[in-house]
Amino acid sequence: MRPTHALEFPPEQEQSFRRAKRLEWLTIAYLLSVGVVMYLVLGSSQAMKTAWIEDLLSLIPPIAFLVAGRVFSRRPNHEFPYGYHRATTIAFLCGAVALFAMGLYLLFDSLMKLVMAEHPTIGNVQLFGQTLWLGWLMLLALTWSAVPAFFIGRAKLPFSRKLHDKVLFTDANMNKADWMTATAAMAGILGIGWGLWWADAAAAAFISLNVTHDGFKNLRTAVTDLMDRVPQTVDHRERDPLCDEVIETLRRLDWVEDTEVRLREEGHVFFGEAFVVPASEENLVDKVEQAMKQIAGLSWRLLDVVVVPVRALPDEGEGLQEASRRHRGEAAARRLLSE
Amino acid sequence: MYLPLLLMMVVGAGCELPRDPRHTLDHVRGKTMRVGITVNEPWVALRQGAPSGVEVELVKRFAQELGAEIVWVEGTESELIEALKHFELDLVVGGLTLPSPWVKQVGTTRPYFTSFISVGVASPDASFQDLSGRRVAVQLGDAAAALLAKKEAVPVRVHQLSPGDGPMAAPDWQLAAWGLHDTGLHLKQQKFFMAVPPGENEWLDRLERFLFSHRPSIARLLQERAAL
Repeated sequence: MRPTHALEFPPEQEQSFRRAKRLEWLTIAYLLSVGVVMYLVLGSSQAMKTAWIEDLLSLIPPIAFLVAGRVFSRRPNHEFPYGYHRATTIAFLCGAVALFAMGLYLLFDSLMKLVMAEHPTIGNVQLFGQTLWLGWLMLLALTWSAVPAFFIGRAKLPFSRKLHDKVLFTDANMNKADWMTATAAMAGILGIGWGLWWADAAAAAFISLNVTHDGFKNLRTAVTDLMDRVPQTVDHRERDPLCDEVIETLRRLDWVEDTEVRLREEGHVFFGEAFVVPASEENLVDKVEQAMKQIAGLSWRLLDVVVVPVRALPDEGEGLQEASRRHRGEAAARRLLSE
Repeated sequence: MYLPLLLMMVVGAGCELPRDPRHTLDHVRGKTMRVGITVNEPWVALRQGAPSGVEVELVKRFAQELGAEIVWVEGTESELIEALKHFELDLVVGGLTLPSPWVKQVGTTRPYFTSFISVGVASPDASFQDLSGRRVAVQLGDAAAALLAKKEAVPVRVHQLSPGDGPMAAPDWQLAAWGLHDTGLHLKQQKFFMAVPPGENEWLDRLERFLFSHRPSIARLLQERAAL
């Protein structure tokens, strides 16, 4: 089995990766502290319990990132000729499943509490000789769970874009959105304080809906990735422009009459095939090797795109080329409309 | 983004939170307090239909503070907790100890008093550190007998524990009241709490503050009752 090329991060990506790793270690330490703090003031609040579990679950993406980080850069070998790039997506999938399943369970739990009309009791604690309502401590704990998370998330976002790392991107956005969970939980606890017994369970239901939704979105991303969907940008807004770059580069070659391309993503990198119809068979091997080098030179992410000379391109259905033309047309139309 | 959070906290702090969803404190203050009691000496006792005991005394003082009249309802723990759950009572006392299955069903105070089941001897000279093989008197039906057996002591079950029974296993305040020396060998910790209707956080807050400020009197009350 011929192994594919080893991945070499360019210096900018290498630096981003190192910084991202450091931030993820920091995230893990921070989330563990949040877990402890929240556990200490949980009481019998459903909203607190839900927020606490969500915080514990958000440990999965950083751990996935760090573990996958050690795996994906291993040299491809005869056992794993395509390399280890899928490790990231698999870790992502596990996290998504956990998130989704947990979200559903918590939603069910909170709704049951509403249906059974359970009135949560939140009493007092003694702190430094003062009697304090536990609800106030809960609010403080929630602040600690939200404020640093926002800044850590914001710091990780640019690195996720530079590395085109979906795990990091999702993780960063989840951190940034923690303030929504915290606000909901705070509203729940203040509602309890106000005498609205249902506020806590309602807030918990809202938070668990959020968790389920996140889990579902991530599940969909992970599954479509593993099914070799056409590569998309890290925020899933549109098809990755790198695909078009490859097509254009090939078309501009004078010896290429026509071309069709097929690409897929594995972790950070692209694999794929480019089918070209050559104008003549002169020096074909050299021309093909030259084309492959040119494509590889376009980006560090194009790890292994093979160029295959064919007699004619098959006519069936919309190839990547037609789709790319249609895409560009649609994008141009959208831009015109928004002006 | 954090402005609404801050506003919420400030508003909350000013508005005397927490409140009762079912307004228990308002129903009690200046009116009537329905208290469920279950007999458990010396915390709750019934002498000719009149309740007495350490916790009864505390509840009487609490009611006095609130200007409320007490209606005593006697029953078993299960019955009383069930009534409490459905807001038919305002308070349930009876020497309730943690861990308890009731904490999930009703509101409970933090432990207001902690004691140990300890081994006591006649005098400091007779004290020992190792229980194995020792004969220790214990009330018949007391779980302490099993705890003694676990520590390889020999439990001697008696119908009514009294000061002259030699080394015995009893609550530390009982040992103190009988003038016995506590060997410091603790068999079990007992944390006492009171139960309130679920979710009545203002009521609970009031009760907990009362219990906390009256902690010194609890030890004294125990002494008086236990010596009887």
